[in-house]
Amino acid sequence: MNKITKEELEVVSEQVSRRNFFKKTATYSMGALAAASVVAPVTIDASEHVKANAEDDPHIMEHKPWATKWGDDVQVNLYGQPSPYEHSVTRRTTPILSSGNYRASIAVTPIQDLSGILTPNGLFFNRHHGGTPTINPNEHRLMIHGLVEKPIVLTMEQLKRYPNVSRIHFLECPANGGPEWRGPQFNSIQFAKGFMSCAEWTGVYIKDILKDLGLKPEAQWMLAEGIDNSHMGRTIPVDKVLDDAMIVWGQNGEALRPEQGYPIRIVVPGWEANLCVKWLCRLEFASEPYYAKEETSKYTALKHTGKAIQHFYVNEVNSVITSPCPEKPWTDLKKGEMVEIEGLAWSGHGTITTVDVSFDGGKNWVEASLKGLVLEKAWTRFSIMHEYTGEPMLLCSRAADDAGHIQPSVKNERAAVGIEGVYHRNGIHTWEIDAKGEVTNVQILS
Amino acid sequence: MYKSYHKKIVASALLASVVFLGTACNASNGTKDTTEAKKPEAATATALPMNTEGFTKREIDAVGPLTPQLSDTVKNTYEHNGKLVIDGGVTYPIVNGKTGAYYVNETAHKTPFNKGKVATANEQKVWDIDVMPDGTGLPEGSGSVEDGDEIYEEKCQSCHGDFGAGAGLYPRLTAGNAYEMQKTLMNQRVNPDSDGPVRVFGSNWPYASTLWWYIKTGMPHQAPLSLTDDEVYALSAYIIAINEIKIDGETLDDEYVLDREKFLKIVMPNVNGFEPDINGPKGPDNTREYYNNPLNYGNGVRCMKDCFEGEPEVQRIAFALTDFNPPLSDEKTLPEVTDSGSVHPGQKTYDSSCKVCHETDAMGAPAVGDKAAWTAVLEKGIDQVYHNAINGINGMPPKGGAMDLSEAQMKEVVDYMVESSK
Repeated sequence: MNKITKEELEVVSEQVSRRNFFKKTATYSMGALAAASVVAPVTIDASEHVKANAEDDPHIMEHKPWATKWGDDVQVNLYGQPSPYEHSVTRRTTPILSSGNYRASIAVTPIQDLSGILTPNGLFFNRHHGGTPTINPNEHRLMIHGLVEKPIVLTMEQLKRYPNVSRIHFLECPANGGPEWRGPQFNSIQFAKGFMSCAEWTGVYIKDILKDLGLKPEAQWMLAEGIDNSHMGRTIPVDKVLDDAMIVWGQNGEALRPEQGYPIRIVVPGWEANLCVKWLCRLEFASEPYYAKEETSKYTALKHTGKAIQHFYVNEVNSVITSPCPEKPWTDLKKGEMVEIEGLAWSGHGTITTVDVSFDGGKNWVEASLKGLVLEKAWTRFSIMHEYTGEPMLLCSRAADDAGHIQPSVKNERAAVGIEGVYHRNGIHTWEIDAKGEVTNVQILS
Repeated sequence: MYKSYHKKIVASALLASVVFLGTACNASNGTKDTTEAKKPEAATATALPMNTEGFTKREIDAVGPLTPQLSDTVKNTYEHNGKLVIDGGVTYPIVNGKTGAYYVNETAHKTPFNKGKVATANEQKVWDIDVMPDGTGLPEGSGSVEDGDEIYEEKCQSCHGDFGAGAGLYPRLTAGNAYEMQKTLMNQRVNPDSDGPVRVFGSNWPYASTLWWYIKTGMPHQAPLSLTDDEVYALSAYIIAINEIKIDGETLDDEYVLDREKFLKIVMPNVNGFEPDINGPKGPDNTREYYNNPLNYGNGVRCMKDCFEGEPEVQRIAFALTDFNPPLSDEKTLPEVTDSGSVHPGQKTYDSSCKVCHETDAMGAPAVGDKAAWTAVLEKGIDQVYHNAINGINGMPPKGGAMDLSEAQMKEVVDYMVESSK
């Protein structure tokens, strides 16, 4: 009671000083008078009328500063920013995933903090090979040439006059999970599985541009090349170009971020994000593949036969449980409480049809529910309810798609490929949950 | 080395696949009936010859072949050529005005457009920077191993190390004799101390054209497209020499001069080390066949009960990687506000052009913040430090390779680095 009395005193004295202030300023400003009627008198602590008991939440019993003062006016943050309290939700880097310096490196997405199937543009997975360029869109051009009857150059305005489409697709680095071929290494979902993101992309189908250029019948391959420092190129088969490959300028309703290829990039739905060349400047058609640096020195998957898979296009069917995970443990749960297990499934081969969840390391499985939008070559949410028992468990998920692909066990995948593949690891992912509810990254070899 | 391990996993896979065969069943509630109706053409389309080498009958039954659950709106062939989807997946043709879940304005996609202008021959020549295995795009020119060694020391060594041995996390360019190293591609690091496969230019890359293209358009990392064609030939000669690759049966000594004609005779040790075979008119069809056979890259089984015998074998983290920036955190309280102060005019230049080498001393450059190192540098006097920064010193090229910087900017950035190292 003493405390409340003291606070009331302070409120009263503050009111007095404010009244004095307004008295002084009122003669200069009628606006201040109007404001005074809105702002003053300063609110009194809610506990003036209700005596707070121990079980009452002080965050309810006390008026908060944000409930009793003006917020920012509309001119603040004309381009909006996340709440400052969300400062821990960021991309993250690690030195071992760079090729010497942070201009040929990656920044991974905090998939533990995401909901739904769209990744905010500021958190989108980023990988580049020579830094992020700042390109003037007025000076940027797209050249389409090689085995076409009519080689052309387009300005960005001209490109955007083609009929556009908007499609939701994930982009995944084929090295997602790649550091863990020989066993788990990251006790973190962000680093173990965060080499990917999913967005709504807006742009044009390449086939819509090609139909007016006269693609020659001997054209079998297309080189896509960027204009950034690394001049990265990749070879894409014409089959895919004439199916669903796009040149995009829009990402979740706004222009591409510089890190994602501003002003334009390719999106090759379901395929290695490395093929989705950023800062796109050139498409060239040829009868033979190009053997660009990022399709021979890297991005080939060495098998135990000594041969490496090249042109390993598609990110195969995959899934991971995002809640719980090492960053979002079950340490707050009590025995008998119900909890939702949730995760992401995706397949570059098609659309997710089923996701199964196992609580015993993959010996027995139950089918989970799919949740929300289920789109081809896009992140798909799955969910299953669980009564928390406090017993240790091995929690894993297994997705299947409409092309007939099923996520392999770690053992199955190692039997097919070995342990030196680096790329395209989609074996079943497992979290070990201990009696305290802590979550650890493990692999099941059974 | 891998063989014994492989036998072991094959043996355990055998055991497991017996269980798979006995119990593979779909314990779902049957709500997926509509998508499970298999279309007749799907059955014929997936009946490709399978590469079953190294797999037992039971493994084949357990792992493949694919049985797509094709619905009315999904096809495993392309609309434009009627062939199987090249990646082993499915496509979504437009049915009743929709592709998958998306509505389509079909008229828009049928409308002809004539946007843009014709690309001139000059424009194409300037931008067409790729170099293909058959020599398309490879210009005339020449350079010797000796010249390449000199350029290497000046422009490459600071990152790629002595004789291409690599430095820090920068890629090494050789691991010794390429023909010997190519054999290591059979290695699997089954144990932490076993030798792994060595994947460097000499042992791994199928074509030398990629090297020329890479150097010309990607190197030096901070200044691509700055080397002349002759310099690229010289560097290529040097890198081929330190990988001990023979050209036309000849070992490359210091005097060896590489030119276009000789370059096109290079046969890389691992030229046949890749699958599928993408070359020639059959390339795309080989690729199609390869990816429509899941045995080539692995596929799972939808077993629902008693999927293996005994307790699960758990592999836990042996060596945890935890060097994350920023550290993992779920914190929702505000960080303490630090006074960032005013930004030094040299800092932006430092961040964009100098930090790569000067952030740490890993590359032999004095690290910013290292008081002792900078005290030593300053013994020569600040004017000499300016001079060295502008004209180069030891492994550092003039202006650190950032030739677009003015002398004033260089002095500013030296000031910044000195002040940050007091």
